[in-house]
Amino acid sequence: MREITRLCFVLTLITAVSAGVLAFVSDKTEEPIANALREAKMKAVRQVLPSFDNDLMEDRVFVANEEGDTVEVFRGMKGDSLTGVAFPRVSHEGYSGDINFLIGVNADGIIQGIQILNHSETPGLGAKIQNEDFRQQYRHCSIDSPKVWKVTKDGGRFEPITGATISSRAITGATLEGLKFFRKNYSRITGKRSGNNSMKDGENE
Amino acid sequence: MNRAAREFLKGFWSENPIFRLVLGLCPTLAVTTTAENGLGMGLASTFVLVCSNTVIASIRSFIPKKVRIPAFIVTIATFVTIVDLVMNGYFHALHQSLGLFIPLIVVNCIILGRAEAFASKNPVWISIIDGFGMGLGFTVSLMVIGAVRELLGNGTIFGAGMFGDSYLPLLLMIMPPGAFMVLGVLLGLMNKVEIKVAERAGREPLIKKKHDCSSCVMQGKWFDLSSGEEKVEDSG
Repeated sequence: MREITRLCFVLTLITAVSAGVLAFVSDKTEEPIANALREAKMKAVRQVLPSFDNDLMEDRVFVANEEGDTVEVFRGMKGDSLTGVAFPRVSHEGYSGDINFLIGVNADGIIQGIQILNHSETPGLGAKIQNEDFRQQYRHCSIDSPKVWKVTKDGGRFEPITGATISSRAITGATLEGLKFFRKNYSRITGKRSGNNSMKDGENE
Repeated sequence: MNRAAREFLKGFWSENPIFRLVLGLCPTLAVTTTAENGLGMGLASTFVLVCSNTVIASIRSFIPKKVRIPAFIVTIATFVTIVDLVMNGYFHALHQSLGLFIPLIVVNCIILGRAEAFASKNPVWISIIDGFGMGLGFTVSLMVIGAVRELLGNGTIFGAGMFGDSYLPLLLMIMPPGAFMVLGVLLGLMNKVEIKVAERAGREPLIKKKHDCSSCVMQGKWFDLSSGEEKVEDSG
């Protein structure tokens, strides 16, 4: 009985110290991690938007997508006219896990660029969806052009990554879905810059 | 050769974690698709190994034998989480490419193995040296496997093209079967070299002709069961 007490005491002490250390580290790194994540996202947003001079955080809108999730849409403006928008998109069709990426379109719905935010595809194979060579194929495409939104293997025009057709298909499919989302919510996304209050409402939806 | 140098160098050749002890194979097979991933994973593991060795060696007399494994695992998991958080906050790009593999360090048996076989029986300073030696030996091994696989499977080393555009990559090498092939071939080569070196130096090679537990380099050094029910007798 005394031995059991001692074993419990030692283990409790070790786990308590670990918990304390982790709480401290987690507290200290919380802000840098949030900053790093936001910085990484905003960097991607800036890369897929056409030129703009507004405050992106100020002018973003929140739109519900077909799955009922709220999507954060960044709007690039020059003066009062909309130059383009950037919004995140998730593909569940990846080889391993979801692929989160960002689609940037101009006001006419023509793709300005896509950026991969995070994924769990195989390093060296599916992970190549991040490469510029692959991503640039989608530039200047829109919902009506090309007619067939598929990889070459399935009769479309997008060149899949060698050995990673599944990942390539996932991006192709999800990009088209993203364009459909943009078209469907066009008025909501491109609507006149509303006051801050209504935007907050949107956030609560 | 003094003790410190010996404990440091053993991780590179005579007790190399991958090629001699054949431990920690999950991360070895999973992350070595490129030389860079191997290097990053190796360095992160080295950090955790040195920290866990230090802590475990300094509290070794305080931990009762019966709960040592959970105590070691908690210590190791704590350091892995610290690495994960700090890397995410301050080295975000590196975390992006390695993020998936960092939590895997907890279950890397080389770290638990060193805690059990070395740090729990030796003073702090020599445990730190052991951690560095084993960790860097692990890093170099991962990097070599990664470089070979990347070169054959992608035609590059550290992302730099080696063969020019006409090279058609042997994709199999960066897929799971390639990991087994490269590991097997390198392990065989290393044994071959060891036998040659030992012959020239006129000593017994580390690899014995006989294949049973007595020919293992871990024999007598690792997993001392004397505290338990069974004592491992030298059958050789």
